[in-house]
Amino acid sequence: MITAGLVEALTGIVGARHVRTAPAERLTYARDGLPTHRRVPAVVVLPGSRDELAAVVRLLAAHDVPFVPRGAGTGLSGGALADGAAVLLVLTRLNRILSLDPSNRVAVVEPGVVNARLSAAAAPHGLHYAPDPSSQTACTIGGNVAENAGGPHCLKYGVTAQHVLALEVVLADGRVVELGSPSGEPWGPDMVGLFVGSEGNFGIATRIAVRLLPQPRAVRTLLAAFASLRAAGEAVSAVIASGIVPAALEMMDQSCIRAVEDSVYAAGYPRDAAAVLLVELDGHSDDAVVAETETVHGLLSAHGAASIRVAADARERERLWQGRKKAFGAMGRLSRDLVVQDAVVPRSALPEVLEAIGRIAATYQLTVSNVFHAGDGNLHPNISFDARVPGLRTRVDAASTEIMEACVAAGGTITGEHGVGLDKLRYMPLIFDAESLAAMRAVRRVWDPEERVNPGKVVPVHACREWSGLRIADRGLRIEQQARSPAQSAIDNPQSAIAPRGAR
Amino acid sequence: MSLLDRVRALLGDDAVEIASGPDAVPRVAPASPDAVALLLGTARQEGWRVRLEGAGTWLPADAPADLALTTRRLDRIPAVEPQDLSATAEAGIGCDLLRQQLADHGTWLALDPPGLAGRTLGSVVATATAGPLRHGFGPVRDHVLGVTFVTGDGRLVQSGGRVVKNVAGYDLTKLEAGGFGAFGVIVLVHLRLRALPRADQTLVLEGTREDLTQVAEDVAAAGLQPAALELMSPALARRDGWALAVRLAGSAALVAAEEAGLRGASGGRFTALRAEEAHGFWMRAAESFATRPITFRTGGLPDSSDELLDLLQHQVGDEWVSASPGVGAIRWAGDTTVDRLRRLRRTLAGLEVPLTLERAPWPIRSAVGHFGAYREGVGPLVAGLRRTFDPGEAFVVAVEGSD
Amino acid sequence: MIDRGGSEALDTCVHCGFCLQACPTFLATGDEADSPRGRIDLMRALETGELAPDDPALRLHLDRCLGCRGCEPVCPSGVGYGRGIEAARAMLATRRRPPALARAALRALTSPGPSRIVYALARMLRATGIPRRLAGWGRFRFAMGMLAATRPTRNAKRGTRNTRAAASSAFRVPTSALLFRGCVMDGLFSHVHDATVRTLGVNGWAVGETPGQVCCGALHAHAGLREEARLLARANVAAFGEGDVPIVVNSAGCGAMLKEYGHLIGAAGFAARVRDVTELLTAGGGPRPGAPVDVQVAYDPPCHLLHAQRIADEPLRVLGAIPVLRIVSLPDAAQCCGSAGLFTLLQPAMSRAVLAPKLASLRTAAPQVVATGNPGCVMQLGAGLAASGLSAAVRHPVELLDESYGAAGYYA
Repeated sequence: MITAGLVEALTGIVGARHVRTAPAERLTYARDGLPTHRRVPAVVVLPGSRDELAAVVRLLAAHDVPFVPRGAGTGLSGGALADGAAVLLVLTRLNRILSLDPSNRVAVVEPGVVNARLSAAAAPHGLHYAPDPSSQTACTIGGNVAENAGGPHCLKYGVTAQHVLALEVVLADGRVVELGSPSGEPWGPDMVGLFVGSEGNFGIATRIAVRLLPQPRAVRTLLAAFASLRAAGEAVSAVIASGIVPAALEMMDQSCIRAVEDSVYAAGYPRDAAAVLLVELDGHSDDAVVAETETVHGLLSAHGAASIRVAADARERERLWQGRKKAFGAMGRLSRDLVVQDAVVPRSALPEVLEAIGRIAATYQLTVSNVFHAGDGNLHPNISFDARVPGLRTRVDAASTEIMEACVAAGGTITGEHGVGLDKLRYMPLIFDAESLAAMRAVRRVWDPEERVNPGKVVPVHACREWSGLRIADRGLRIEQQARSPAQSAIDNPQSAIAPRGAR
Repeated sequence: MSLLDRVRALLGDDAVEIASGPDAVPRVAPASPDAVALLLGTARQEGWRVRLEGAGTWLPADAPADLALTTRRLDRIPAVEPQDLSATAEAGIGCDLLRQQLADHGTWLALDPPGLAGRTLGSVVATATAGPLRHGFGPVRDHVLGVTFVTGDGRLVQSGGRVVKNVAGYDLTKLEAGGFGAFGVIVLVHLRLRALPRADQTLVLEGTREDLTQVAEDVAAAGLQPAALELMSPALARRDGWALAVRLAGSAALVAAEEAGLRGASGGRFTALRAEEAHGFWMRAAESFATRPITFRTGGLPDSSDELLDLLQHQVGDEWVSASPGVGAIRWAGDTTVDRLRRLRRTLAGLEVPLTLERAPWPIRSAVGHFGAYREGVGPLVAGLRRTFDPGEAFVVAVEGSD
Repeated sequence: MIDRGGSEALDTCVHCGFCLQACPTFLATGDEADSPRGRIDLMRALETGELAPDDPALRLHLDRCLGCRGCEPVCPSGVGYGRGIEAARAMLATRRRPPALARAALRALTSPGPSRIVYALARMLRATGIPRRLAGWGRFRFAMGMLAATRPTRNAKRGTRNTRAAASSAFRVPTSALLFRGCVMDGLFSHVHDATVRTLGVNGWAVGETPGQVCCGALHAHAGLREEARLLARANVAAFGEGDVPIVVNSAGCGAMLKEYGHLIGAAGFAARVRDVTELLTAGGGPRPGAPVDVQVAYDPPCHLLHAQRIADEPLRVLGAIPVLRIVSLPDAAQCCGSAGLFTLLQPAMSRAVLAPKLASLRTAAPQVVATGNPGCVMQLGAGLAASGLSAAVRHPVELLDESYGAAGYYA
């Protein structure tokens, strides 16, 4: 229960300026980067140090109050929202780069450090932090860890999980644990790997050691225009199958191209193209990158590129990238409201899935724009609409579900980098059976037995409630250790997978 | 009904091999993931203790148990998708067979684990034993897109998926990769592949360890990114002195450029191996680890590699050592005692360097544990995860030592 | 369609958050309610009635907006934040009068009668040198520092305000631009007006005077006093009359406001005539190079020039016309200094918090002169530098060009 006494105690830890209780202030935290979800937190706390944070978490544990960690609030799955029963812990003030070791290429940061600021700090040493989500100018490393964030250059360099070496984590009960080792070698089981992408459900990372990579010495960026989505999709498969690993391989469709070209980030994309591919090749040796660029150029031509432009210099390259990275925001120009989706399909299925999305958009009479990491098969269909039009929201939801189903049917998954959060909960049963979902929930309860950290996210617990095992457990009954078929689901086994929440 | 009768009734006669191994523990080879689940579910009911085996070429098949579960009949490769650069394989497939199948499709799994060529995929993933290619292509977990595993109480769980990017749900795959079977037995693995490199060149430089360490630093400082950069002891490299072996793999242009860069950074001292020489060189080194009784790995920061090699030399000798100075990983093989291993692990822990015991005879393994000297607060979490995935303690795995 | 008074400019916000790191107040507090995105939430709630205009927390956070509009150039969906915040402030002003301090300051600084006395007294005080000695932190001492910062640099060419400094005779042409004098500029920065007239003269512009002009109304509009701002705007439009002679402004804040007259009172024709002095100086390949001035300069772009008017290169080209002068770059130079009109008086704590990183980077870069083209910024930076014990002087770019031209003998 959140009481006046609790608020007073919170104030005692972090100071009155950093506890927000006014309705107006809480309202500004009601949404993240996916504004279709809205939840107003009970209290907002902005701790100023790791010790303050740990003290706040212990206090909340003592009061049995759930809480939700939040970084910059740029997430796209409603993952950083807290409802009226929970406290929102905002980590923006924990924004120090604690150390930067150029010889070992390691940096240690607090969770509130903004992604792009870390790369900027590493740049004088010829290094950079590779994961580059499109929101990198705003999003925090802590949020990146929680979501296992990706980005265009993850095609070659890997997602966040591949760049996190060690973590200091405050658990739900306020205990501090040290995961991994400074070099990235797991210390025992790979607890760092397990934690990254847990969407805040396992605790709060308070110190994050990441790997830095040398800035590539040679870079070439190509922009290829195509007359159809299918041709562009086939070109993607051809590039991937060639054995060349581009640093990035991105696709934008016409609707997206036009939104970008109308914005302050206009990049000179051809407005009449049905799709463009942005391909970047990089490496240590200019000769090798030039040779690979020629090969890719040939592949794009052979697959019907109407025009191919190679960025002449760093400035033009930057412009081409800014257009891509700000494309999501630029969609705001198309309509008042926007739902951005995130799904992954096998790369060879891109042409079919893109056509399926087009058909779904036509069926529901919606504007769907595509901007995505084609090299990974990571789609981002954006649905633009005006939520004030009666009934439209329902149509958007139905179309979103059909798009997800199409991606899953093609062998894909429901999220490649945005996370499950609130938005994707309903799709989890599309890809995981009850047993696997129960296993996830069980793992979460190892870290957070009372499920107080970021409650109601990632694993669809509502579905669990209908399962017989939990219903019995919820009534406080225990299932005896009895012989049962091993094929029975985890729900039958409250001792392990999904031990009951118990009387609290 | 005896244990074997029950198993035969469950899985059929051909799933059971009798009188296998020196300790005569019956060996059961289920032919499907469901059969594994059925067996382990029964084991949980009956309180049987189960040890996990693959081809039996890496970890000694010597843990005391009521039965041995081998994955060797789970040896199918349901899918290879060259266009998507992904594949799905059952855990019991031998790495050599898998490699061949992938190559037939123009694809490559960029892992070169220590041990014999026939080691199973499941063994490599469960023990997370990466080889020299880790320098360029990352640890084992980076190659695994998803796994299906069976828990100690017979539940079949999927995690991850078949696509190259996936953040749906918690990443249980990371727990299974390198979990030594303590959190379930892996039955199916989805793999991230690469295109078979068009060019693959190995170059070797012989010299003193100090000299080669310097060359390795120069190579790193020059910004070169070889597939492997491995510093090997004379016995392991089968040379008179220490050897620094560099492997370049990729497009012809890339390999040519890297080779030129390498020669520039080292004053042109490396000797290129012919293709069959190179194959033999890496294979013999990998196999050598399986011929010693004990293997462990450590992971330190790159600039501490030299210091750690000194420490190993001093405490346990350095006859069989392979180090990847670019990533700070070291693998050691040889013979030593429980006490020395424990002391070494404690010393290394003081330097914030973990030691993972990869293989050893059961008495040593059970005393020292694959893992130990955890950092702050990790022990209870590991224990909780074990209870979750093996509530009846069916798996006989020496996760932590008895110390 | 109902008139939403400018709130419709916020409709394109999709909550992406790309504005957060461009917002000086968010960087100071880390609080979403002090960010553009959070304030847009507040403004929307105000418009829909979810929050009342007298909600104290709403007011606190909207009042704490500097109005620097640093969020606008980074917004991919083109949200008109500046227009939105003024609309919101106007809505708030209908329910509550601006604070007494704000009203007093507005009266003292902008109303023709009283302000003349205030500025005369201020100049007398400034001449005593006492403000310079008192400059420091704390409300009073910071204000003294601000006043001291308005003093012309000693080696600047002296001009009296009534001599229309004779431009070099070669360029004597009919009036080709009209000077907007403003209130604070005219009261405390007449030396900048003189430098403006002289340097434009060297570049072929004969600058004329316009009687009857008044304050631009920017401070009123920022305070939500829209009607007052409209009255002032109409007076200015009447004073400058019809025609297409450019109206030259050397205060970024005034320039941004004058360019908004189209939206404010429908005077688009007037707005189209408004030019910053650096725009005129750089028109047609200018400005003409002057004599060398050996000085290290950090250019700090005023928000109302860079973000509101999107004028980025012109001031640098003006400085570039001065041989030998070296420009040192400041990290995050594009961030607000915390001046923001009356903000520095009304929100001193936040204003100083926003100023702090700027002073830290100036301490590192250690320039001899900080150049900036807005009176508020000159005063804020000058006071901050003085309080921090840094010796750099703060000057308008045209002052430096004027010095260079003087040394070149162009005024002989």
